[in-house]
Amino acid sequence: MSTLINISQLSWHVENKSILQNINFNVCKGEVIGIIGPNGAGKTSLLRCLTNQGNILTSKNISGCVQLKNRPIVQYSAKEIAQHFALVMQKNETIFALSVQDVLKMGLLPHKSLFSLDSDHDKAQISLALKKVGLSDSLHSHFNQLSGGEQQRVLIARALVQTSQILVLDEPTNHLDVYYQHQVLQLVNKLNITVIMTVHDLNLASLYCQRLLLLDHGQLISDGTPEEVLSPKKLSQIFGLPCQKSIDAITGATQVSFYLKNNEQENNLVKIVNE
Amino acid sequence: MNKVSTILIALFAVVILSAMTAITFGPADIDSSELISCLIGSCQNPIANVVIWQVRIPRVLVALVAGMGLAIAGAILQNTTRNPLADPYLFGIVSGAGLGATIANISLADNLTIALPLAAFLGALFSVIIVVFIAKVLQRMEQLLLAGVAVSFMLASITQFILYFGEPFATNRVIFWLMGSLARVEMSNFYVIGFVLLIAIITVIALHRQIDALLLGDESAASLGVDVDKLRLLMLGLCAALTATIVAYCGGIGFVGLMIPHIVRQLIGVTTLKLIIGSALIGAIFLIWVDVIARSSLPHAEIPIGIITSALGSIFFLFIMYRSRAVI
Repeated sequence: MSTLINISQLSWHVENKSILQNINFNVCKGEVIGIIGPNGAGKTSLLRCLTNQGNILTSKNISGCVQLKNRPIVQYSAKEIAQHFALVMQKNETIFALSVQDVLKMGLLPHKSLFSLDSDHDKAQISLALKKVGLSDSLHSHFNQLSGGEQQRVLIARALVQTSQILVLDEPTNHLDVYYQHQVLQLVNKLNITVIMTVHDLNLASLYCQRLLLLDHGQLISDGTPEEVLSPKKLSQIFGLPCQKSIDAITGATQVSFYLKNNEQENNLVKIVNE
Repeated sequence: MNKVSTILIALFAVVILSAMTAITFGPADIDSSELISCLIGSCQNPIANVVIWQVRIPRVLVALVAGMGLAIAGAILQNTTRNPLADPYLFGIVSGAGLGATIANISLADNLTIALPLAAFLGALFSVIIVVFIAKVLQRMEQLLLAGVAVSFMLASITQFILYFGEPFATNRVIFWLMGSLARVEMSNFYVIGFVLLIAIITVIALHRQIDALLLGDESAASLGVDVDKLRLLMLGLCAALTATIVAYCGGIGFVGLMIPHIVRQLIGVTTLKLIIGSALIGAIFLIWVDVIARSSLPHAEIPIGIITSALGSIFFLFIMYRSRAVI
């Protein structure tokens, strides 16, 4: 497999606090990678560095190197980066009555010159992307009136219109119910492009990612298959809770469950719930 | 042909018809056959010829480009700040122009034909620089409008202070100028406003995708390769130049930039290209007819045009708030 992204010795320090510490890993073409870890572990910061958002890598607080196709990413223009990475971020609100079509058209931007209008090819591309995410009938719906899961799928369709090689998602399952969590991740998994996403739910990450990166306090603790990374010992250290690993009977995926520390705490909780 | 292009073509026809009809309104009695013969250059009556070519046509043409410009400036501000209530008036651009005009009027009473527009322009630019500076310090785009309102009041109070101690004639002149009027416009004003308008329209059409990308948030736009800060600054500068040029010749004409894009969103669409073209057409129709009302509703006097647009605008503002449950 050919290497798309190469990250070496990436560190980000602000005053005395380390946001990222000496991160090293490669991303190969076609991988579906989940970045996991507790709140504040540096997951979103890592995504920002990976895509050099706002030219963040030129900041003096950040050292190390991110290479895209063997060329330092700082040498790419914002437009070139948008041609390689499609981002689906957490916050996507608008008070204007944008239609789904309007949102998908934004994905054309990195491939368009000034003054350009939409061609028939663009329109075909938009309906194809919408079909892939199962929303063919929603072309003229208002983006704001869709459910959270549908909005997330529209944004993934926009990323498809962007025809970038790498899809980057920040917590794509946040605020979604169980059905949509699975639907969105299954969709992402089946797109056959390189995917890098942060995921909060370890079991979902295990189910839909080929490879996991576990971060804690800005350090890359482990990197490997879900089976390798989801080690009860490491997870209980990081999350501060006892942890048990099992194999799901239906999917065969590694799953983990956590418990409260001791009976005393558990009893307290039961008491609170009963009251 | 789809619905949007049908509406736009119909609006274009209404603009032409409105402009033609508006030429027939005015105190001098000119019937339509005389009007047509003057328009095609075979005029029998020299007075009618002068009235039509030197008074009415420049006035209607300035109303047309000023209406287009103010509506477009509002549309650009609203899309680039993601705030449907943004308007050049509320951004302090008009108060800045007012301050510049006041200073020019009080200190350079002799050579106002060039000094007044220039000073108004510089004043508008000054206010935009303050607003952008404040917004940069606050780091919050959402507060740009509030910063604009604050700057607007500050500049207006300086203007009033100068006027209070100023010479009464100059004060009078400024107060009437601030109310807005197309009574003294000339053909050259049309060319200047038209030129700035053309630059603004070309720039916005060139960057329409970039501006659209802002509608889903700065972060989303940046991920599509847009330099958000630079784009917003450029658009703000463009609106300032456009509004300042119009205000310099026509005085304060408020609320056009707020009302027209709002109507266009309901009728045509929210993305920049549709919004700009729709706003240009409806803005032109609106200001041509408001000017007709301004010059023909009272028997021997004119109503300043800014009074009419502000009255309509404030009612419209309340109307938006009343139905704010609806989608903007």
